[in-house]
Amino acid sequence: MRAKIILTTIAAACMSFSVMALSLNEAKSQGMVGETAAGYLGVIKGSSDVKKLVADINKKRKAKYQQLAKKNGISLSQVEKLAAEKTYKKTSSGHFIQVNGKWVKK
Amino acid sequence: MKWMLTLMLVLVTSACTHKVQVETKEPITINLNVKVDHEIRVKVDKELDDLFSDESELF
Repeated sequence: MRAKIILTTIAAACMSFSVMALSLNEAKSQGMVGETAAGYLGVIKGSSDVKKLVADINKKRKAKYQQLAKKNGISLSQVEKLAAEKTYKKTSSGHFIQVNGKWVKK
Repeated sequence: MKWMLTLMLVLVTSACTHKVQVETKEPITINLNVKVDHEIRVKVDKELDDLFSDESELF
């Protein structure tokens, strides 16, 4: 019984993970979200679902950035800048990035 | 007299050598800072790569 509950929890966690990864990718390819110059995701258009997803991911990103900043003895903004460079490089063509405050298709 | 002149010459020369050493100290410190900065940059860059890997839900 106990093992079944644990298994169900793990399965549910896996499913929610894949659903979120999929929706982020969907949101990207449908032009709903893009990468900002600050190293975070930005909402271009979309419902509250998209906003919630972006807020959730940005919160997790910020926690990781802060961790990296502390570990390497540099400021959060320095990590954010490096992260922005990284996300711009990694963004696949057809997805959006923010350049001088405007959304452009890479 | 000649002995005194030699001694003074030695003193003057050594004083000059010392001055040159003081002058070279500062640029060496600056280079060291740049090196550390670069190492941290490379390190953070790699860790960000891991953070935004293909399996990551954050990117």
